[in-house]
Amino acid sequence: MSGEIVRALQLWPVWLRLGIQDVRLRFRRSLLGIAWVFLNLTISLLTIGFIYSSLLGQDLKKFLPFLTIGLVVWSYLTAAVVEGGMAFIAAEGYIRQIGVPLFVYLFRSFVSVSLFMLLNLITYFPVAYFSGLTLHYGMLWAVPGLLLMASVVLLFITIFAYLHTRFRDAIPFASALLQVVFYVTPVIWPPEALRQQGLHWVIDYNPFYHLLEVIRQPLLQAEPASTLSYLMVALLIGGLMVIAASCVWRYHQRIVYFL
Amino acid sequence: MARIFLREVRVDFTVDVDPPRTFKSTVRRFFRPQRRVPRLIRALDIAALSIRAGERIGLIGRNGAGKSTLLKVMARIYPPHRGEVRVDGHVCPLFEFATGFEMEATGWDNIRTRALLLGMNPKEVEAKLMEIAQFTELGEFLDVPVRCYSSGMMLRLAFATSTAVDPEILLLDEVMAAGDASFIERARRRMDALMERASIVVFASHSLDVLPQFCERTIWLDRGMIVRDGPTLDVIHAYEESVRSAA
Repeated sequence: MSGEIVRALQLWPVWLRLGIQDVRLRFRRSLLGIAWVFLNLTISLLTIGFIYSSLLGQDLKKFLPFLTIGLVVWSYLTAAVVEGGMAFIAAEGYIRQIGVPLFVYLFRSFVSVSLFMLLNLITYFPVAYFSGLTLHYGMLWAVPGLLLMASVVLLFITIFAYLHTRFRDAIPFASALLQVVFYVTPVIWPPEALRQQGLHWVIDYNPFYHLLEVIRQPLLQAEPASTLSYLMVALLIGGLMVIAASCVWRYHQRIVYFL
Repeated sequence: MARIFLREVRVDFTVDVDPPRTFKSTVRRFFRPQRRVPRLIRALDIAALSIRAGERIGLIGRNGAGKSTLLKVMARIYPPHRGEVRVDGHVCPLFEFATGFEMEATGWDNIRTRALLLGMNPKEVEAKLMEIAQFTELGEFLDVPVRCYSSGMMLRLAFATSTAVDPEILLLDEVMAAGDASFIERARRRMDALMERASIVVFASHSLDVLPQFCERTIWLDRGMIVRDGPTLDVIHAYEESVRSAA
């Protein structure tokens, strides 16, 4: 197995190429092309930003950067499930013809969704400028945060690619679950709003909140997130690793027969 | 040194009588143990098979005898359910050319992707790109998304790319089915040259008159098992005999 992972890593020119191609092709034959990335996000930002900032009595200038990061990171996670889950099925034509390690197709999906997230993240800079946030070295704490997030995404892709090839219900099931998690996680509303209601446990035990925090906190406050957040994210990654490993162990040899 | 070695290899296909298994059906089965045992079709059951460098091997047998399955096991596409498979050497599979395209991408992009997947490094790909493009004779169509290609054009693209690699082990599955007359002729010549270069060739075919030209050894498969393995003319003779007596 580890030999296969090494061989897949050595094939980086293929999966890097395919991943980049996926992003490029996504907007082919559309009039606005890549501009849709920013347009999509901007429309959501303005709508949610306007409604929620009035609803929760937040200052729009303070609220927008918070919201931007939340939406970008959350759609990264959703893409890991919805697109990552299709990693093997989308590559069926290759898998049935050419015997390269299956991990190649997981890495391809990882490149594709990560690149898309980075494109989305560009939007943060004009938003931060508008909100009067100044660049600060402390913001670099977002880099380890993004790396942690990326590991979660890679694990999600692995888990759902295997599960969904086996059970075609996996993606719809997980999407529904993610939707629920979205409501209880401070993505589009600030955590203080719930804390004031005395419902802090909803947030504190939610690993996805901490996953957002390790990126959001550095970008907004120019300081690392709390130790608890890093700890919870580490726990989440550990748990996902166990699940991913058992999916690989259980289904790896059989994937081609499930296609 | 190129080498293929199989021992006690078995491949089963599960033929579910029900539609593809869902989460629900699995949960249900978990609570209510299944009455129906899933139907298994033994696609391959090879006791022992060893192929050394320099050998050219023909595979014959009726449709569904396991020829393609055996090739796919050798290509590391089908992991066997039990048994040992050792394949030393760089494998080039030439199976079917109808799938494995990125439809929205151009011909050029598809050549590059396929070549990389077949094990070329980026430098090699760029070095061979013009030669591959010339062989396809697709000209400016290479700038067009593959979505707009005819099936013959896709075949040209896939064939030209796949045959540009330098394989140690060449696995062929009756590939010469499509393409216009001039292409078939050029493809045949290119294939001959490729077979010269490869150290091991395994060739599944129904053209019994062509096999003796290429292969000194032939394996006859039936229901996933080796019926006979020996000099090409002997095996073909025995096979024809059995087909005749069955008819």
